[in-house]
Amino acid sequence: MEGSAAIEVEGLTKRYGSHVAVDGVSFSVKRGEAFGILGPNGAGKTTTLEMIEGLRRPDSGEITVLGENVWPDPRRIQSRIGVQLQTTSLFDMLTAQELLELFARFYLRADASEQARKALAQVGLEAKGGDYAKNLSGGQQQRLAIALALVHDPEVVFLDEPTTGLDPQARRNLWDVIRSINQEHGKTVVLTTHYLEEAEELCERVAIMDEARIVALDTPAGLIDRLDADARVSYTDSTGDHAVYVRDAQATVLEVLEAARANGETVHNLAVKGADLEDVFLSLTGREYRE
Amino acid sequence: MSFNFSRFLSTALAQLRMTFRRRITLFWSLVFPMILMTLLGLLFGRSVNAGDIVIAQPVTAAAPKAMVAALEQTKGLTVKTSSDAATAIKKVKDGDEDAALVFTQRPDGSYAAKLYTSNTSATQAGILKGIVFGAADRVSIAATGGPPALRFQALSVDSASLSYIDFLLPGIVALSIMISAVIGLSTVLVDWRQRGILRRLKLTPIPLAEFFAARIAASLVVAVMQVVVLLAFGRFVFGIHISSTAWAAIPVALAGCLCFLAMGFTIGSMVSNPETGDAVSNVVTNPMMFLSGVFFPVAAMPAFVQSIARVLPLYYLANGLRDTTVRGLPLTHVAGDIGVLLAATAVLAAVSLRMFRWEPST
Repeated sequence: MEGSAAIEVEGLTKRYGSHVAVDGVSFSVKRGEAFGILGPNGAGKTTTLEMIEGLRRPDSGEITVLGENVWPDPRRIQSRIGVQLQTTSLFDMLTAQELLELFARFYLRADASEQARKALAQVGLEAKGGDYAKNLSGGQQQRLAIALALVHDPEVVFLDEPTTGLDPQARRNLWDVIRSINQEHGKTVVLTTHYLEEAEELCERVAIMDEARIVALDTPAGLIDRLDADARVSYTDSTGDHAVYVRDAQATVLEVLEAARANGETVHNLAVKGADLEDVFLSLTGREYRE
Repeated sequence: MSFNFSRFLSTALAQLRMTFRRRITLFWSLVFPMILMTLLGLLFGRSVNAGDIVIAQPVTAAAPKAMVAALEQTKGLTVKTSSDAATAIKKVKDGDEDAALVFTQRPDGSYAAKLYTSNTSATQAGILKGIVFGAADRVSIAATGGPPALRFQALSVDSASLSYIDFLLPGIVALSIMISAVIGLSTVLVDWRQRGILRRLKLTPIPLAEFFAARIAASLVVAVMQVVVLLAFGRFVFGIHISSTAWAAIPVALAGCLCFLAMGFTIGSMVSNPETGDAVSNVVTNPMMFLSGVFFPVAAMPAFVQSIARVLPLYYLANGLRDTTVRGLPLTHVAGDIGVLLAATAVLAAVSLRMFRWEPST
């Protein structure tokens, strides 16, 4: 099994009535990889993830996780995957430690309290074991939800928009947690996000999803390379807003400024920025990326 | 993928922990029944008269005499006499007395005991009817062989010589078991589904049946606790005599609790949000509370209400608890009540499993 793919998805499709939520999606995730599915809200990320986790049955397509077919019996892979759902609310009246122990016992772990402590440590919540979940901050609750996904020591961890709704500081703290799950604990991580920066920061490879399909899949650097441009130069003049992707930013800026001087124009908001995934999305879909 | 006892036990313990940490649950299971009991006890308790009953003279035959003697021994009941039936009935009409008892001889030589009450004090009338029914019943049983010495129009034996507070205690226990089970389970089921906890559970290996079995076990523990604590409360605060057969109340309470859990599960599976859940639970439990002989004997109610009571699970739970805790009847006597409760459980469980949903409706 060593070296084989952690996840293989082929031709995955899900419809709700006439609405196609996921349309022929295929990709594979390597063992130990941090894989991201990036896209705006409603792109089909969560539906894709939930079909792989065994929560939603696909209309068609094949899903293999750790060499096992997920459907028709998703229980077969259950104890080898850990899942953090997009909205996780938990039993109010249990402490973080008790909650983790209970979940560890669901998986018939004999060393439940030890596992619970380890999972708390992995997400940096050691000091909060005695607190009720409802009394934790948003970022801490999200970490607890991730700890719940880790408590039975799974091989693959699914995180569905783990940082949505968190303030920038909490988001960065959570990135550290996710990075250590992948790099220090060696777990395969599959996450969805609508934050471009998050995908760029955390993922070795990113699948960009838009309107139920994967429109591109590569490393963040590879995706940006495909733009065939290093930078985005944008400015405003009397004719409106302009943005161009260019190989040579220096030459372009000089050109713009010289042309403006020659025509007696004034250029405002001149900006040069390294190309990023936002530009990739724009070039692939023709639309501005909206989180 | 199959049942695991130690996991079931840990889950049940966690559920119990959650139940006890939620103060509102404890309030409804234990504190509220005590308050209700105390209020009703103060209003209608032992110190207060069950009422005045006037008996039309002459009473000559043995059976009616025995019945009058039985009534005279009843605590809290004042027995008076009047010269004839018309005078006795007029006194009730005028509101001077609560009830009039008239004996008439029937063609077969037995006696009919007719009780006249006024609708102006329905509760009092109910209590009195209960007492008189009980007295008539005992006299009938005492006369051995031959045709019954005394006939009463109704066949019920509700509240035989029980004072009101004795009658009330098991009813309150039944009521509190019902409220805890129906409201408790329907509320958490809706909450767990709506907040995605059920979906999260679906991703773990614990089977749904085992998870809910653990929840049910926790509720049964609470029900047993309600029986013990509330009976002790009645015993020590109101000095109610608890029968030696009271242990038989435990299987009755467990059967009743199962039945109401199944009802709570059905409601929780039917509705989508907590507000509707509360409303439906109230619509179901409130009428049952008043129609099942919790606060006053069913026998005191009009015939059509009595037939409604016979289809309500709370009636059987209250009856079974009353028979075992204060009437001193053995487990065998309440086997029928337990059977009805378990049958209702099976029906409700079948219905609720058909309606069960993991996910909130979108």
